[in-house]
Amino acid sequence: MSKNERYIYRTHGVCPPEIHFQVQDGFLTEVRFIGGGCPGNARLVSRLLKGLPVEGVMEFLRDIECRNETSCPDQLFKALSDARNGALHPAHSFDVYEDCQPRKSIALIGELGGRLDILQRLVEAISRENVEISYCLGNLTGHAPANKDLLEFLRKQSVLAIQGDLDWCYSQGTEPAGFPSLDQKERDDLFLLPHLLSFQLDGKKGIAFFGEYVQRMTGFSDFDPFALEINMVSSLTQFFKDETVFPALEVMVPQFQAQIILFSQPKEWGHWQVGGANFISVGPAATARGLNWGLLGGNGDKIHFEIMQLQD
Amino acid sequence: MAESVRVLPQNIQDMMDVREWDMRTREGIQRFRELRAKSLPSIALDNELVYEAIIPGQEDLSAEIRRRYEEKNRE
Repeated sequence: MSKNERYIYRTHGVCPPEIHFQVQDGFLTEVRFIGGGCPGNARLVSRLLKGLPVEGVMEFLRDIECRNETSCPDQLFKALSDARNGALHPAHSFDVYEDCQPRKSIALIGELGGRLDILQRLVEAISRENVEISYCLGNLTGHAPANKDLLEFLRKQSVLAIQGDLDWCYSQGTEPAGFPSLDQKERDDLFLLPHLLSFQLDGKKGIAFFGEYVQRMTGFSDFDPFALEINMVSSLTQFFKDETVFPALEVMVPQFQAQIILFSQPKEWGHWQVGGANFISVGPAATARGLNWGLLGGNGDKIHFEIMQLQD
Repeated sequence: MAESVRVLPQNIQDMMDVREWDMRTREGIQRFRELRAKSLPSIALDNELVYEAIIPGQEDLSAEIRRRYEEKNRE
């Protein structure tokens, strides 16, 4: 069986700006219209097409007009045609957002769990510090009923967020039973968040990711950009629970692209320096000791990291 | 490390099957953890971690492989 390839097509003239689809052995295994349009119809089309051969569905998609002499099905036809003739290349399994602005100081926010009140307090506290930008490593969502309000608030802030594992489940419509529901728009908003963030801090390359769910994503390759860092943190050290493998990690670090690696799956704060790289576990925003965020700064050759606490 | 195995004399090569694991891959990491290895490079013989963080000399490695081969074939 061949690899399940994932594609992202930027549309023209229709409401959804992107179509994401996956093809394996000539069959569509996933189709999703992202970011606009008629969500009900789009989901129906996705369900109808899933599992069908690409060649078989194309004749039904082409030359349907809705607006601007094209339509969502017509755009999907173009996307599939481009994928078939090689004009559209498979996307990496996970999305990387590059913060192009070199930074001197970054605020780190861990799991919010849908707590808008906590995010608001953190944003206010961070605004009083000399911080250029905030990164939120997920999970944004949680059991709290304010998931939707939190996402709306987040959009208006200068916070770059990535998907945590629960956010990813929400974006796929596979959140665990008992969690509050979300509208399709919020699910799409989560879906469009990157899975990994790359940045520059005082001349050092850094990455931020949530945890091991990234390795489970369709088409994840051990040779994707930053996959080595993800594998070393998630699989080798098991999120720095196993210090006995640090000698092996030290041998592997020179092959890293990044010198600062942030992650948040363990849900506790931690900082390790191994082989010249800095590994930082970003803990949850709320702990028994109060509210927390991390202050990450560059100071010449050294990285400065501090856990900042607010009292409840 | 792999080179130190590849250059062993042919009579030693005939006693074994060699498998190399890439530590960049999840499969390689899993094998590394199964062997309870701690550092790199490492050599396991008969699923037992024998050399860790060192590259053994050809004589040492040949002798250890021969010893194990003879022990198994004595029975």
